[in-house]
Parts: sequence; C-alpha cells; structure tokens
Amino acid sequence: MKHRKTIFFSLTALLVIAGGVYGLHEYTRKNADLGHVRADLQISAGDLIRKMETGGQAAERELLAKKDYVIAVTGSIKEISRDEKGYYTIALGNPDGMSSVRCAMDTMHQKGLAGLATGATVTIQGAFTGFNQDPLLGSDVILNRCVISNKKP
Amino acid sequence: MAISLKTIRHLVLGSLLAFGSLSHAQGRYYTKSAKLFFQCTKSPLEKVEATNKSGTCVLDTQSGQVQFAVLMKGFEFAKALMQEHFNENYVESDRFPRSEFRGQVINNADIHYGKDGSYPAHVKGTLQIHGESRPVEANGTILIKGGKPSLAATFTILLSDYKIAIPSVVSDKISNSVDISVEGALEPLKN
Repeated sequence: MKHRKTIFFSLTALLVIAGGVYGLHEYTRKNADLGHVRADLQISAGDLIRKMETGGQAAERELLAKKDYVIAVTGSIKEISRDEKGYYTIALGNPDGMSSVRCAMDTMHQKGLAGLATGATVTIQGAFTGFNQDPLLGSDVILNRCVISNKKP
Repeated sequence: MAISLKTIRHLVLGSLLAFGSLSHAQGRYYTKSAKLFFQCTKSPLEKVEATNKSGTCVLDTQSGQVQFAVLMKGFEFAKALMQEHFNENYVESDRFPRSEFRGQVINNADIHYGKDGSYPAHVKGTLQIHGESRPVEANGTILIKGGKPSLAATFTILLSDYKIAIPSVVSDKISNSVDISVEGALEPLKN
C-alpha cells in the first residue's frame, strides 16, 4: 500500500513538474527563427505581386489564416532602408514601379545586410504578413522576420 | 490678332492648370515604413507592447488630409505566445487584417511645409480597428527637414470601443486603455 502511494505521488509530482516546464517554455517562447525553416512557397517577386493582385482579399485571408506561412521570394533589390535603430527593410521588385515585396529583416539576422546593394538578386524568406493595394502607392506584399536565404551577385 | 490673343489666353490657362496639378502632386508625401508602437500594460511585472515597422502613410500637405494603414499581423511582440493571442483571440487578424486611420490636420494652415522647423499638429479623423470605426483626435508634431515632412503623434484608445474583449483571466495584465504612438519620415510621392 505504501509502495503504491509513493508511485502515485511520484507520478503526480512528475506531471506537475512537466506541466510547469512546458508552461514556462511556452510563456518565454520567442518567434521561430525563419533561417531554419523550410519555405511553404518559393516564388519570384513579380509573380508573388501578380498572384496577390489577382487573388485580392480572398488570397490574403487564405494565407493569413495559416500560422507563419513562410514565403521564399527571389528578386532584384529595389530599395534598402535602415532605420535609426539599425533595422533593415529590403524591397524587391521592379525599380521603375511603386509595387514591391517588402521584407522587414529579422533583427537576429542583420549581419551582412550592409554589404547588399540595389540591383543585386537575392532570395529572402519571411512570414507572410499581408498585402497592401493602393491606387497611389501600388501593390505591396509584406513579409516579416525575414532572412537572406541565398545571395547572387 | 484675335486668334492669337485667344491662343495666348488658352496657353496661360493651360499653364495655370498644369501648375496647379503639378503643385498638387508635389504636395503629396508618403512612406511605406511608418512605425507604430502600442502598449496596454497593466501590471509592472509583464509588459504588453508591440511594434510594427511596415505602416503606410500618405499626407497631402495642401489639404492636410492624412491616412495611415497598418497590417495587424505586422505587430511584433517580445513573446511569441502573446503575439499569437493578439492575432488569434483579440484583433482576429485573419478576419480584420488591417487597421486604418483617415483624417485631417486641423491646423494645416499653420504648418509651413516649405520652411524647415518643428510644428505642432492637431489631427482629427476616424480610426478603424477590428472592423469598428471610432473618431480619434491626436496631438503630434510635423517636422520639416530638407523640405521633407516627418510625422509623430501619440493618442489613447479604449479596446472596448473597438469590441476587443479582454478575458477575465488576463484582465489584471492587459489594460483596456491603449497608448499608441506613430511616426514616419515621408518622401515626395511622384505620380
């Protein structure tokens, strides 16, 4: 009987500890590093913009409903901007148009971005965040937590 | 002679119209990387705050009309779980992907867009979040540097106004009152 009680309390204690560890892990969990994630879609910047323009809100909602839908986009660097905190946003697309794929670069992957130049072809992967379409500002696909997955001269 | 006077009149009128249209285009400024920060922390033990670096903003310096738009999934939190709850349970980002402000700089006539300096700005308009629209007023600053405007403003909203419910289990951590700050450096819009 005593032996049974010991096993019961040990198992209960183990479950409580496991629950606590899992809870703490979930509570302190950071967003996934997309540098180690396989992309759900590989596409060129121009095709992605056209796909979203054609699909409109329905296409945007379909992708937003998926948790962390990762897209790897290949295109020419149209613009590189760096804010006062040093964080980079890279826009891929046709330099003559207003439309682009705007990639907010992951703060953990800023190294090497200073060496990038407009006109270079890169593949950047990031989490789909939404699609903006405006008669004045053009069409923009927004990706967050982006990382360079491939760089070509 | 009569024809030539008519031609001159047309030319002058045409030039004036063209100048009007050109100066209107020059009066529009935009950014696609406006920054928005909000915090609704209630307990000092846990910060509830997020930043979005991909807001769009258009300002028409002639009319004073201003628009902001932001994608809700673009808000980044320090903790992934908090970000997931924000998107899935509170603002329902897949149903209501963006928030938008459309308004007017009320004291637009006091802002000398052609002269570098810092000008107080009072903005009034409508803010749409979670599918709900409410009137909002904000005091901010328009900074003119090198002929380009930068905007900065802060204001407070109530989550309950936008039908965003806080579950009782976290009501001691999340405040119904949200402080929002917005800033953006604008570039001329060529069209």
